Amino acid sequence: MINKKICMVGAFGVGKTSLVARYVRSIFSDKYQTTVGVKIDKKVVQSCGAEVTLVLWDLAGEDALTTVKPAQLKGASGYILVVDGLRRQTLEVAIDLQRRVTEAVGKVPFVCVLNKTDVRETWEVKPADLEPLAAQRWALIETSAKTGAGVGELFQTLTDAMMQEHNATDSTTGAVAG
Amino acid sequence: MSTGPSAREPSSDQGANGDPAGYARLRELLVGPEQARLEELQRRLDDRQLRTEDLSQVIAEAIALRLRRDHALQLALNPLVEDAVRISVARDPSILANTLFPIIGAAVRKSVAHALRGLVESINQTLERSFSLESLKWRIEALRTGKSFGAIVLTHSLRYRVEQVFLIHRETGLLLQHAARADQIVQDSDLVSGMLTAIQDFVRDSFTGAGGQEVETIELGEFNLWVQHGPAATLAAVVSGTPPPELRTLLERTLEQIHSDFAMALSTFKGDTAPFAEAQPLLQGCLLGRGAQTAKRKSRGFFIVAAVVVIALIAAGLFLVVRHQSRWDKLLLRLRSEPGIVLTSAEESWGSYRLTGLRDPLSADPEALIRASGVNPARVTAHWEPYVSLHAKFRAERQFRSEKDALEQQVLRFPLNSAQLGGEQLIRLDDVEAHLVNLQEHAASTGQKFLLEVRGHTDPSGNEDKNASLSEARADAVVKALIDRGISREMLRIVAMGSREPVRRNAAAYLTDLNRRVSFRVVVEAEGAR
Repeated sequence: MINKKICMVGAFGVGKTSLVARYVRSIFSDKYQTTVGVKIDKKVVQSCGAEVTLVLWDLAGEDALTTVKPAQLKGASGYILVVDGLRRQTLEVAIDLQRRVTEAVGKVPFVCVLNKTDVRETWEVKPADLEPLAAQRWALIETSAKTGAGVGELFQTLTDAMMQEHNATDSTTGAVAG
Repeated sequence: MSTGPSAREPSSDQGANGDPAGYARLRELLVGPEQARLEELQRRLDDRQLRTEDLSQVIAEAIALRLRRDHALQLALNPLVEDAVRISVARDPSILANTLFPIIGAAVRKSVAHALRGLVESINQTLERSFSLESLKWRIEALRTGKSFGAIVLTHSLRYRVEQVFLIHRETGLLLQHAARADQIVQDSDLVSGMLTAIQDFVRDSFTGAGGQEVETIELGEFNLWVQHGPAATLAAVVSGTPPPELRTLLERTLEQIHSDFAMALSTFKGDTAPFAEAQPLLQGCLLGRGAQTAKRKSRGFFIVAAVVVIALIAAGLFLVVRHQSRWDKLLLRLRSEPGIVLTSAEESWGSYRLTGLRDPLSADPEALIRASGVNPARVTAHWEPYVSLHAKFRAERQFRSEKDALEQQVLRFPLNSAQLGGEQLIRLDDVEAHLVNLQEHAASTGQKFLLEVRGHTDPSGNEDKNASLSEARADAVVKALIDRGISREMLRIVAMGSREPVRRNAAAYLTDLNRRVSFRVVVEAEGAR
């Protein structure tokens, strides 16, 4: 069995927790996030013919007072950046976070989630804002916590990317060992 | 015209086959640039300087790339680094010392604090346990089974139980392996493991700053969470009750074992937990202790049995001591009341006895008295100083004996071949009679009965048959004379000795006269029966 730690980061109030709430197994209350700064959930995904258990570290949102702690990111095999389509500023936070997470854990697979797609017409984030990110080969997925759209795809995309990495390192290790 | 091409053809053939310069030119035209490149490559390969420059441009990237792939480089460089450090220290120790200076204080402090805390805990426990019945029981068991005392304490500590053990990958917080008791309700251990790591981070970040301190104990009511940290993995034990400090040592050892057994799997961990299934027995080994309830019941049962046994032993001991003492007291009483024995001191120490006193030789044998009392005679040493008792019983006895001696000294003599008592002998018979009468009196007062043997003797001369009848006749004459004087026939017995008991054998002739005699022997009936 394969276990992977993934982190979910984003600005304060982008709807991280509610986005995954219906799709993960959780035994801890939301209070943990405000007290300890992180809440841990679990999601099992099938990928590359294996069962992968994702241990999801739902980190407290970034604002003026709270910043993501590198210690919490340590050992993550992948991460989810959450952006609130209604607030352009959250996209900037996400871009900044992506840079900092890369510093902390290196280049690992990630997915950038544009949340609240159910009210897309009122979005502050415009396609033009996303073009440079797409050019940098960011995986961009539109989701809605309300309707659940895109959430399954989000986990699948991230897990597939991580497993590709996993098998790549495995095979090279195998080759060296052989 | 037709020859033209045919003439040109051979010439061109000739040019192709026979003109080296032409070939060289052709080759140059065809592979000239490649040739130059090959030569340039050759030059670069041969030139160390150039090769070094080339390598220097890519070496950093190459190392970074390889590090991402596997750990072969670390292994390969390990001896190099060790050697480099050694050389550096040998050349100038101050460089490394200065480099380590900022961290060495913290490391030493941490290590010393850890050691001191362990010491204090163990002193406390030792003081608590030193004199308890429980610890005595455990020490006996440790001696009996050959296990260490610590191990016995761990197995038997009555007030704790390890409910669950988590083996957690340190960096990711992912659960590597988990062991729990069968009766435990296990929350999702993956989540618990992650949250535990998160809480560790939280506590460390919030309260201890950047220092490398770790949460090692979390207490929550009757539950304790004991966390042991290693470089690559963390071992967390959920314990109910009050765990003994030996459990900490066990966790330390287990974690060290896991680090050594799974070194490769831990350093290359990418999320695959399968290799750690083999750590399950190690984790199971940490699920120690017993439920407080059952333990209490068991211990109460044990103590009841132990108490009964101890009380029985004490009672038996007391009984033996009391019985012994009463026998001893009775013996002393008996000795003190015994006529002819004066007990001057009786000492008792460590189960042996010492008696001193005075004893009349006629008194009862003290040895026999000791045997009769039930006291072991081997334990008694006695010293009796002889003395003469004036007790009435002994006075009569003594007089009886002196009369007996006097009587047995008496001898009546006869002429050759005669059984007639002469005049002088009749006077002696008076003495015999007087002694006999006295003896009868004393015998009456001491309660003894006796017979008087009247023994007739002859000298060795003559026929033995004749001698026998002559000796009998002599004894008979004396008996008759005594009966005439009023002595009861019943107490007299005639014994014909013939010449068997001469006064002195092979003596001179004049002495044989002395053999013609009658002698006396007092036979005390009580003595004869004994």
